[in-house]
Amino acid sequence: MEKAVISILGPDRPGIIAAATRILFDDGCNIENVSQTTLQTEFSGIFIVSIPEELTIEALNRHLESALGPLDQHVYVKPLLPGTTSFNTADCERFVIATRGPDQKGLVARITEVISRHGVNVTNLQAIFKGGDKPVDNVMIYEVDVPPDADQSALYSDLRQRAADLGLTISIQHRRIFEAINRV
Amino acid sequence: MLNKEEILATLEMIQHENLDVRAVTLGINLLDCACDDLARFQQNLRTRIGHLAGSLVNVCNQVGDKYGVPVVNKRISVSPIAVAGANFYPEQMVEIACTLDSIAREVGIDFIGGFSALVQKGMAKGDRSLIRAIPEALSATERVCASVNAASTRAGINMDAVLLLGRIIKRAAHLTADRDGIACAKLCIFANIPQDIPFMAGAYLGVGEPDAVINVGVSGPGVVKKALDRALRMDPRIDLGRLSEIIKRTAYKVTRVGELIGREVAERLNIAFGVVDLSLAPTPNVGDSVGEIFQSLGLRAIGVPGSTAALAMLNDAVKKGGAFASSNVGGLSGAFIPVSEDLNIGQAAADGFLCLDKLEALTSVCSVGLDMVAIPGDVSEETLSAIIADELAIGVINKKTTAARLIPVPGKAAGDKAFFGGLLGESTILAVNNTCGENCFVRHGGLIPAPVQSLTN
Repeated sequence: MEKAVISILGPDRPGIIAAATRILFDDGCNIENVSQTTLQTEFSGIFIVSIPEELTIEALNRHLESALGPLDQHVYVKPLLPGTTSFNTADCERFVIATRGPDQKGLVARITEVISRHGVNVTNLQAIFKGGDKPVDNVMIYEVDVPPDADQSALYSDLRQRAADLGLTISIQHRRIFEAINRV
Repeated sequence: MLNKEEILATLEMIQHENLDVRAVTLGINLLDCACDDLARFQQNLRTRIGHLAGSLVNVCNQVGDKYGVPVVNKRISVSPIAVAGANFYPEQMVEIACTLDSIAREVGIDFIGGFSALVQKGMAKGDRSLIRAIPEALSATERVCASVNAASTRAGINMDAVLLLGRIIKRAAHLTADRDGIACAKLCIFANIPQDIPFMAGAYLGVGEPDAVINVGVSGPGVVKKALDRALRMDPRIDLGRLSEIIKRTAYKVTRVGELIGREVAERLNIAFGVVDLSLAPTPNVGDSVGEIFQSLGLRAIGVPGSTAALAMLNDAVKKGGAFASSNVGGLSGAFIPVSEDLNIGQAAADGFLCLDKLEALTSVCSVGLDMVAIPGDVSEETLSAIIADELAIGVINKKTTAARLIPVPGKAAGDKAFFGGLLGESTILAVNNTCGENCFVRHGGLIPAPVQSLTN
């Protein structure tokens, strides 16, 4: 059975998930994975669904747009091709990089440039801008997968240097410390 | 995915509340190094300890870096030298201490514990040699720590040993008079000594432990204080049951950090993991103080009425949190109140809120005992022994560990200041009742029998 990836983006309001899943149900699709989040006023959702043989990607896209367009949502549907993982996460070590310091343009780009140069994959990025007159309270959190062949000490030292250039304090910690402290 | 509150709370504990792993202590069994030739025994020690501990410091630093939690002290505890070196005379025991000191320096650790004897019921040849060697051994070395278990709930109190130890402590102080008697800061006299303490000066590796074991001491008074302060800011009328709950939850988190790091160090060294000792162990730094917790709880200073109840609550909540967090909790696990090592407690002593008698009362509800207490240099050997006997009696009767680490500061009197430096800190010298008078009670010697285990009122 073919699979599809569906992305929905638009202003948050009641009824978006209901409208989308109603169409999926009517079209005979089965939801395998779903993740959604809301940033400020904007909703974003991503679904992976299996679709029946008689349903085309184009038809599914059309049905979703007709239901979600009136809710001001943009829809994008594409086929999920089997075996298309571009990054092998199997043996990766999972770390959390947190920077704290004044907000500035290009901050994320300059940190992720270092992360990317070392072949490390960002799996989740959160910005916590408390802002206001306490700029040092701006915190960026990058959850990353570090492949086994990455040079960890070089990664650490490059990140620390870049953070120093940007006037940020940085911490790089294995994810397990956060789980150990906070979860039973 | 981790949520941001989990990440921010963890970062706050590490970056601003002094959460660290206070000590990773590698326990090493030396019993099969025993030998009647001193040079060969010393070589055996070098080979055994060097082989097992060679990479301890590096591995601790690597694991600390990985988790972003500093491992502040790396230490070694060994089998009681009074047993492993039972063949030797006091002068040879001093040479053994010097060998341990040089090994400690070579492997880069700050303290090695286990220059110890277990004499709760009586003294054997090796015990007598070791105890007699303590003053010279501790003044000739920097990193060697000594302990003597002179009492237990099952055996009673060995008053002959206690009397001898009064003399030993005075001599150790005299030999390091130029440094305010610092040798005494490396000697603990115990009742019910645990065999897996990672904290100094009481660490040794007990009989019944494996060839080698990693024990971890976590601390975190700063984390507990900040958690209490946050709760009190949100609700100044919060009751003590809920404050106790906050301490318990915080202790849980701190213990989990210790276990995570300890297990990984043990795994990398291919050594068994032993216990996490969750103790609120202060350092002479602001924000890393047990005394400050008392003030957060609403007491003017540690030592004022209410302090014993507050400490009982604190100690119990710490144990409950630790016991839930890990199945391998051991050592002392409680709150330490070392006077000179805690800025705030030292200040309470200087301000007159905390006296020796109140300290003794506090030790009936917390771990350890009269810890790092500076007393007048002219205290008599008998009075010193009597203070130790009192402290040990609290442990024996209450089936708990107590200890005395007393420093009679040569040439100084009550109210003067003693300076030990580094982690050992500084302190106002506390007054002692009957400082120089005789004490016929301790002079009787013998064994105070083990207490009855029923009729418990």
